[in-house]
Amino acid sequence: MHKTTSPGSARRALLGIAGAIGIASLIAGCAGGPAQPTGGADYTPPASDLAAEITYAFWDETQRAAIEANIEGFNEEYPNIAVNLDVTPWEGYWTKVQTQASSDTLPDLFWLNGPNFQLYASNGKVEPITSEVEGDYIDPANYPEGLVDLYNLDGVQYGVPKDFDTIGLWFNKAIFEQAGVEVPTDDWTWDDLSTAANGISEALSSQGIYGVAGGMDGQTTYYNTIFQAGGEVVTDGGKGSGYDTPEAQAGIQFWTDLIASGASPSIQQLTDTPADQWFTSGKVAMYYGGSWARTAVKESSVGAVADVAALPAGEEKAVVIHGVSNVVAANSKNKQAAQALQVYLASEKAQQQQGDLGAVIPAFNGTQQAFADSYPGVNLQVFLDQTAWAKPYPVSKNGGAWGAVETALLPDAFSGAVPVADATKDLATQMTDLLAKE
Amino acid sequence: MTTGSPGLRPVTFPAARAARGRGAGAEARARRRDGAWPWLFVLPLLTGVVLFYVWPIIQTFYFSFTEWGVFGGSSWTGIDNYVRLVQDPQLYLSLGNTLLYTGIVLLGVPIAVYLASLLNTPGLRFASFYRVLFFLPYIAMPTAIAMVWRIIFNGDFGILNYVLSFAGIDGPYWVSTAGFATVAVAIVGIWSSIGFSMIVLGAGLKNIPTEYYEASELDGASRWRQFRSITVPLLTPSIFFVVIITVIASFQMFDLLFAILGSQNPILPKSMSLVYFFYHAGFVTNERGYAASIAMIIFVIIGLVTLLQFRLQRRWVNVD
Amino acid sequence: MVLGVGGFLMAFPFLWQMIMSLSTNAEVQSVVPHFWPAELQWDNYVEVFERLPFLSQLRTSVLITIIRTGAQIVLCTLAGYAFARMRFRGRGIALAVILSILMVPSQAYLISQYQIVQNLGWLNTLIGIVAPGLFSAFGTFLMRTAFLNMPAELEEAARLDGASPVRTFWSVMLPLARPSISVLAITSALWSWNELLWPLLVTTYQEQMPLSAGLATLVGNKSTDYPVVMAASMLAMAPILILFIVLQRRVVDGLAFSGLK
Repeated sequence: MHKTTSPGSARRALLGIAGAIGIASLIAGCAGGPAQPTGGADYTPPASDLAAEITYAFWDETQRAAIEANIEGFNEEYPNIAVNLDVTPWEGYWTKVQTQASSDTLPDLFWLNGPNFQLYASNGKVEPITSEVEGDYIDPANYPEGLVDLYNLDGVQYGVPKDFDTIGLWFNKAIFEQAGVEVPTDDWTWDDLSTAANGISEALSSQGIYGVAGGMDGQTTYYNTIFQAGGEVVTDGGKGSGYDTPEAQAGIQFWTDLIASGASPSIQQLTDTPADQWFTSGKVAMYYGGSWARTAVKESSVGAVADVAALPAGEEKAVVIHGVSNVVAANSKNKQAAQALQVYLASEKAQQQQGDLGAVIPAFNGTQQAFADSYPGVNLQVFLDQTAWAKPYPVSKNGGAWGAVETALLPDAFSGAVPVADATKDLATQMTDLLAKE
Repeated sequence: MTTGSPGLRPVTFPAARAARGRGAGAEARARRRDGAWPWLFVLPLLTGVVLFYVWPIIQTFYFSFTEWGVFGGSSWTGIDNYVRLVQDPQLYLSLGNTLLYTGIVLLGVPIAVYLASLLNTPGLRFASFYRVLFFLPYIAMPTAIAMVWRIIFNGDFGILNYVLSFAGIDGPYWVSTAGFATVAVAIVGIWSSIGFSMIVLGAGLKNIPTEYYEASELDGASRWRQFRSITVPLLTPSIFFVVIITVIASFQMFDLLFAILGSQNPILPKSMSLVYFFYHAGFVTNERGYAASIAMIIFVIIGLVTLLQFRLQRRWVNVD
Repeated sequence: MVLGVGGFLMAFPFLWQMIMSLSTNAEVQSVVPHFWPAELQWDNYVEVFERLPFLSQLRTSVLITIIRTGAQIVLCTLAGYAFARMRFRGRGIALAVILSILMVPSQAYLISQYQIVQNLGWLNTLIGIVAPGLFSAFGTFLMRTAFLNMPAELEEAARLDGASPVRTFWSVMLPLARPSISVLAITSALWSWNELLWPLLVTTYQEQMPLSAGLATLVGNKSTDYPVVMAASMLAMAPILILFIVLQRRVVDGLAFSGLK
């Protein structure tokens, strides 16, 4: 059979395409450069009969009910502003928002989180809330301090947190009883944890039960221990890496030791099966988990015997705090309406509603009681108490880049294949290079 | 029927365009057997393809020579991206993983041929039922299915290792060990595409005249002999099609890897496929210009492989 | 028999999925697999309807699938025939161009296509969702192969009888292509049905999203209600499964090669 595509014709096809580059470059060159953050006009609350249609984008379907309740309250003040809720699943949310930002079709109001915030803010895609703060419509003092700082870039505040989460030491009372070990208290230190975990593992290894489970999720595990050892992850105002310090290394070593002594499943096992699943299946006595695990734990088979304590202290007490913020798009065509919604959602009334409907911990100080009461018998209060010594989730403009290096290098440090000092040194070097490029 | 190679006549392109349309003059009709009809048949498709696909490729090609900002804005950097790419060990690693994956998935083709021919035996009871069963995987929603497979592959508690333990084999941690992960994903790849291959091959099998089988039976040929001498050779165009599509699809493998291993899996960097390498550069580390160059390299690689297959086709594909 | 074993292997994950869809989240998450739930949780299926605007998303999915499949059948069959059986200047180049779009990672098209659709004003419209998918290189290649497989004698006979190319195509070759058209229809329908990322990008109203996107919203960032996802997935699979069962008879009953008579 003859060939319909000879190499010659295919090559000609490609050359033909290449020949169109000239035109393409002219057109592509008009893609525009990063815009500067616009100061924006001073915010004043719009008239209550303002008519507008705005889009509010977020990713968490489980919070939809609470948000709809908020919108209802908002519409009592502004009946003619129609809010369209655009829920995009987590896996597609960032691709979508990035695409929209590239063509300036961002939703009027949308969620940003710590790791992504700086990218959008530094490229002028987010409207600052300076005028709203000056007009006393939003008061940053009402929200956890470390978290408010997360949404501040170069001295300009772009939003306030709408919720927060911290990390706690979830534990299984039944396993402790079975092993004959004392349950954790809120004053535990690293040594206390280590002793207990080893004790449990030794006693119950025949049942395949471990003392504690770590893993590769920095937010719940090693970021916390690094802070607790007195170290930092990102230093120098976002220019340096804190990994190459004895403190950070101690934070990593903590987990390495636990794995080495058999108190924790191996890193490989934890990759295959995440820590929270070990816990909810009753295979591990303790794990470092977020406040968001509350529902999963409650409905799991260990729901009746679970409880939570504050994270054990290293050199100091510390915990990672993170939360989402509502931000207004800088190029929004309905800026005033969007800002009105932003202000409303940050108000105590709306935040209280969020708390009562239970999906997240609202950020406004004093509205969190409903959360604390939502799991009788379990001391959820520790998640709130720990905000006193909370450190914000480590971020930079392009966190994804050095996050990938962490994922590549740290498992070997945890498993002991590479000495912690070497791995962290390597990590720090690569991370600093990446941070310099931002 | 063989025809000569296309387009070696001195007729020029602009003339062909001018002759397009129903009112083509007798002159144009005299020049070519089919006149303007072919273009009428092809143009709607071609227009759409050029607008929605070729244009983006051109854009990507352009941007591969720049440093492309996340939100637009680019600065020309010449061949820097390509120089970096050629020196990047990830490229070769991901190429290796992709080749391994493709190789394993291709093993599914002979299986599909065999199964398709089994399914085609005349008078098979429950043929429709089997057909539906085999096609089920192709219908599945990827998100949900990946979850199920992840559970099956679980190192400590998964079904697969449980079954293997009966054979005395200590199953590995499929999803968290570099080499095995690729194999695991490939198994799912075969699982989900066998049904499709069988359908295409089934359609091809329908075109083999039953007279050939009847004649050979009269000559006393065994089933296996029939399979080897009649079925397979006459099926080669369909097999070729299935192979080409399987190879291209395997080279494009990405979603499956992502879904089964999980986005925070430490071995992802080591088990990257080519397209995942592209995605990582473009959407995770936000180096869009670099990602564009990766896309172009992928294009070249797949193009070469496909070209190779087209060349080899004259050796083994029989076309009427 | 071989087919039986094979069939079981194929279906096994689905059986598992069905079991999962009837379990509680705790049972699913438990690392030691539960082979059968303590109680059949039919509630999960009900919850799918509560969490998603299932029916309007179903409608969207159906519309998208019909439009795309229809367009692909028409465009690809026409083009496939031309590439296989017609001679024209630039045929090689055109085919190479069309095939080459398969060789670029599909994510590379996303942003460019988004901007094109945006410039055409098609964001948040049905046509915006459907547009890029109307044109299939794979479908063209499939139909070309199908037409290449057909004996040339039929066509030549028609030409000798004075039939125009269109007539030849319509009355002679097209009927023979039915099995392959069915294959194209099935693959095209499937792909449209399951497509996720593109519809997600171009729509912002949940009712306008297809089922695949709706399903994805059930998968959370930090936690997922697995049984509901499984239930939704089973419900979403049902229409396509029915379509396939109907169509595959046509493939089976498709004309075998007997046209020379």
